[in-house]
Amino acid sequence: MDLDYLLVLLLGSVTAAATLLIATVGLAVVYGLMGVVNLAHGEFLMFGAYTTLTVTRMGVPFVLAILVGVIITSLFGAIVEVLLIKPMYGRLLDTMLATWGLSLVLVQAAVLQFGTVTPGVGLPQWSISIGDFEMSTYLLLMVPAAAVIVAAIYLLFTRTSYGVMARASIQDRQMASAVGIETSWINTITFALGAGLAGLAGGLLLPAVPATPDMGLLFVIKAFLIVVSAGPAALSGTAATGGILASTTSVTANIWGSALGDLMFFVATIAILRLFPLGISHKWRIRL
Amino acid sequence: MSVQSVTTPPERSASELQESLGTKSRPLSDRFWWMAPVLASVIMLAVVFIKEESFAFVATSWIIFGIVGLSLDLVWGKSGLLSLGQTALFGIGGYVGAIAAINLSDITGNTLVWAIPFGAGAGALAALLLGWLMFYANMGNLQRTILTYTSTLLLLTLMVSFTATFGDAVVGGTNGLGSIPSYVLGFGEGAERVSSRVMFVTVVVIACSILLATIRLMRSPFGTVIDCIRLDVTKADLLGFDTRQYQLRLFVLSGAIAGVGGGLFVLWANFVNPSIFSNQNALFIPIYVLVGGIGTLFGGFVGAIAVGWLSFWLGGGAGGGQTTLVLGVLLILLVRFNRSGLFGIAASVWRRLRPKETTVVKSEPVKVDFELLQRLREGQTKPSEISLVTNDASKSFGGVKPVDEVSQRFTPGSVHCVIGPNGAGKSSYLKVCTGAYKPDSGSVSINGVDVTSTDPHKRVALGLGVKNQKAQVFAELDVRTNLWVAAYSRSRNSDHADSTVDAMLQMLGMTKGADRLAGDLSHGEQQWLDIGMVLCLAPDVILLDEPAAGMTGEEREQLAALVRALTETAAVVVVEHDMGFIQSLDPEVTVLHQGAVFTQGDIEEVRSDERVLDIYLGRREHVRDN
Amino acid sequence: MFEITNATGGYEKTRIIEDASIKVDKGEVVALLGRNGVGKTTLFKYAMGLIDRENGSVSLGGKELPAATSRRVRAGLGYVPQGRFVFPRLTVSENIAAAAAANRHDRKKAVAQALEDFPLLKPKANTLAGKLSGGQQQVLAMARALATEPEVLLLDEPTEGIQPSIIDDIAGIIKTLNVERGISILVAEQDLEFCRAVAKRAYVMDRGQIVDEVSIEALLENEELVQRLLGV
Repeated sequence: MDLDYLLVLLLGSVTAAATLLIATVGLAVVYGLMGVVNLAHGEFLMFGAYTTLTVTRMGVPFVLAILVGVIITSLFGAIVEVLLIKPMYGRLLDTMLATWGLSLVLVQAAVLQFGTVTPGVGLPQWSISIGDFEMSTYLLLMVPAAAVIVAAIYLLFTRTSYGVMARASIQDRQMASAVGIETSWINTITFALGAGLAGLAGGLLLPAVPATPDMGLLFVIKAFLIVVSAGPAALSGTAATGGILASTTSVTANIWGSALGDLMFFVATIAILRLFPLGISHKWRIRL
Repeated sequence: MSVQSVTTPPERSASELQESLGTKSRPLSDRFWWMAPVLASVIMLAVVFIKEESFAFVATSWIIFGIVGLSLDLVWGKSGLLSLGQTALFGIGGYVGAIAAINLSDITGNTLVWAIPFGAGAGALAALLLGWLMFYANMGNLQRTILTYTSTLLLLTLMVSFTATFGDAVVGGTNGLGSIPSYVLGFGEGAERVSSRVMFVTVVVIACSILLATIRLMRSPFGTVIDCIRLDVTKADLLGFDTRQYQLRLFVLSGAIAGVGGGLFVLWANFVNPSIFSNQNALFIPIYVLVGGIGTLFGGFVGAIAVGWLSFWLGGGAGGGQTTLVLGVLLILLVRFNRSGLFGIAASVWRRLRPKETTVVKSEPVKVDFELLQRLREGQTKPSEISLVTNDASKSFGGVKPVDEVSQRFTPGSVHCVIGPNGAGKSSYLKVCTGAYKPDSGSVSINGVDVTSTDPHKRVALGLGVKNQKAQVFAELDVRTNLWVAAYSRSRNSDHADSTVDAMLQMLGMTKGADRLAGDLSHGEQQWLDIGMVLCLAPDVILLDEPAAGMTGEEREQLAALVRALTETAAVVVVEHDMGFIQSLDPEVTVLHQGAVFTQGDIEEVRSDERVLDIYLGRREHVRDN
Repeated sequence: MFEITNATGGYEKTRIIEDASIKVDKGEVVALLGRNGVGKTTLFKYAMGLIDRENGSVSLGGKELPAATSRRVRAGLGYVPQGRFVFPRLTVSENIAAAAAANRHDRKKAVAQALEDFPLLKPKANTLAGKLSGGQQQVLAMARALATEPEVLLLDEPTEGIQPSIIDDIAGIIKTLNVERGISILVAEQDLEFCRAVAKRAYVMDRGQIVDEVSIEALLENEELVQRLLGV
């Protein structure tokens, strides 16, 4: 019984960390490789969830619907980048304000379009039992999913021309253009990629987190705190910080309830920022 | 591009605005700066008495949101920190103010005496906590903004599940906190709630007082220092101001103001629930400030009234769900196309209509005033020892070691020059002396006090004065204010600083045209102004990095005379390239090469040393041996 | 072949270079001399389109270059900035690959070529550039610029803060590039000995202007001019 409880607690932490990582990684890519903080990240996630939901309800298989959701959210991200982000390069706080405005517009648009309550995707809810406890199989699947996403991003940014050029651009924008890199295009692709990852998160999490206009809010607080305390190493920093923060929170939440879990998360972040004001990975010499 | 320049709001428009509004043309506007807010208040009161009672009720909320707008403008416009947490402070002030009013109003009858101080206190306390984390953790402005944002979101999620009972006040999660008393102005048992019109008058009077007090504060030395910190935080540091403490104090003040707004709000609404922390609510605040004009202080009120009236007129009140949609778009458009707001537009129209002043004031030549230099140092407690000493100081970055076990002792008596070819480590060594770099090993001391790990502003307080290579002046402040801030840092006394500045202006030949913006000065004038600022600090130890760069022959002579005069009482270290200038200083010379002391001696010894010429010319034989 | 004509510009309001004109012929190595702060770096940035231009033009092979920096690079202008500015959290290979990919060259081939050309980099191929020594970074910065396959290479103070032994290597590399690949080179320097090793002709810069055009040999014989020039 005790052992079962520990196992459930452990699995719970790992799935919580994996879920959070999936929801965060798009934000981390945009921040880490573009230097832009996208306050509409949560709404991109919501956008992806609704797109996936709509496509599923049209009869398309779920996995394919997720793919459609990713593509449409990426395209939407690219448009936002060109219209909103590009004119404000170098004005970080202005970009934040503008994306903040965008996030509210998107929430409101979703309320008008879909209402505040929406049906689920109707996937069968499998679960496995550990002793007296039951765990959702789908949530457990988020662990390998997170691993695949992280690995794919790593390969993208270390093995492809785009990836290497994108990393060069964020490290020294002027120098990147002085070796011939079109940093402006790179940024559009990066932002679209970040949006696509948010859309992927929205679609993937749909069976666990039903689509609502303010579903983004569930993730963004933690996502922002993770990304800021992670620092410049977009992937490893985020994974490490996300892992630490999510598991401490998950344990706290399991014992004392979710509100205290959230508070714990916030306090832990502040502790990290107090120790590493510019993020955990500020001094890491690492590729990504 | 540095972070600083990214995060600084376009203050130029605000300063031009200030000018166009007449606050710069002394002395009339200096005495009547309070007129505009008072007049505006009177007009608002008149309008409300013409309109119906329900209008007064709605309009009260606009003024309350204006107060929150003011609290944001204070930190965003004045110190450059975009806080997305003002509604958190507002909400905390509201909840605490409400709890106080519910429990304690029976004692006095009057509700405001409880809601306002408790609201202000709670807001200030929350700001103190948040601000301490933000400013004392050496975070970047981005991290700070995110922290303010997430603290708002956190409060929203926490308050939803937070239930507790404080005396008669029951905080019930999503159900919120109800039965909050309304505005009661009278005292004693018979005191009754007032009409909406009287409520409006009360709120306007309070708002106007807060605004006047804030404007007054920002016109005081405190406000000037805050301006300096926004414009160039490192220079403010080098003038000896504890910048973090100033920023924290400003943020706490802003928290108190937001808290007052919270207290006023709950008495108006008689109800408060977690949605006070909502994103939608938080979004309004920067919109108000942007609509009215950032950095103006009253912009928040203008914006709140304009947006409020517009939605009142359009949709009869809240305007339903579409309001958020419209405001979101509005925020995007404001940020994208116009950041100076209604007053910015008005000011630029005004500037275009007004005939342009074309009189160009040029500075007179600099005349070094030895008596002034003497006088500046009077009344100071003299340290027993005047010196700058580094002991085996080293600093390395990755594989590079720009400062390699440098031991030097600089004292008054003669000028000390540090020379060396490009990349020899001169700047890095200076940074170790100023505190911009903390050495990896070895020690630094000023006047015999160990300062190895001391922050720059404390070193300045100990007697250090630094002029960096690039002229560092506060571009958007006038010449007089630039010098005044430095003089004020030394004496912390306005009158004393005024008289110092008058003499310094005379010496710099800038008495005429002291009201020019420092950013409009020529390169050479800026250099002198910067030197003047350092002199106003009356330092014991003076570090000058390439002071003669960009100066004419005559100016160089004056500068050389000045530097030599300074060595009588202070330890002076000059980093220079220009050999002619160095020679005119008749200095002790230290040659740095690859981060280490290569050789030292008087100027003739060094000049005749073949090896020194070699490292400059890059001839390799001797260098390899070394 | 490569020409900067009447370059005038600077940063925001401050004008730093004024009416500076420079010409580099095909296959030539030319030095740009001057003390610290006379505007050499600014002139290079002007040529790359990295600063605010007030007046003047830059042309390569008789054709005026486009305004955007990245397009200038693709038109054949290579740049090694003062202070190297390698991408610190890219590996040595990735630094080269990024430059090659940006110019639509085969990045694997470019990396292989660079490691062959600069044996010094070979053992460090998978090391982060930020972990290299100053001299190694300088070589990498040159290799990276070469991966763009330039016709003209702008080298800004390649010897600054570099160990003497590597300075000689760098001089060797410059000569090889010039002779074997026919790349024209403009090098800004304060190290006269180094300039003598690589260039014959030099422009002298002071206070933002080109004040003289001399042969290096003649310059070295004129002690007074040297002292004035370098402020020694």
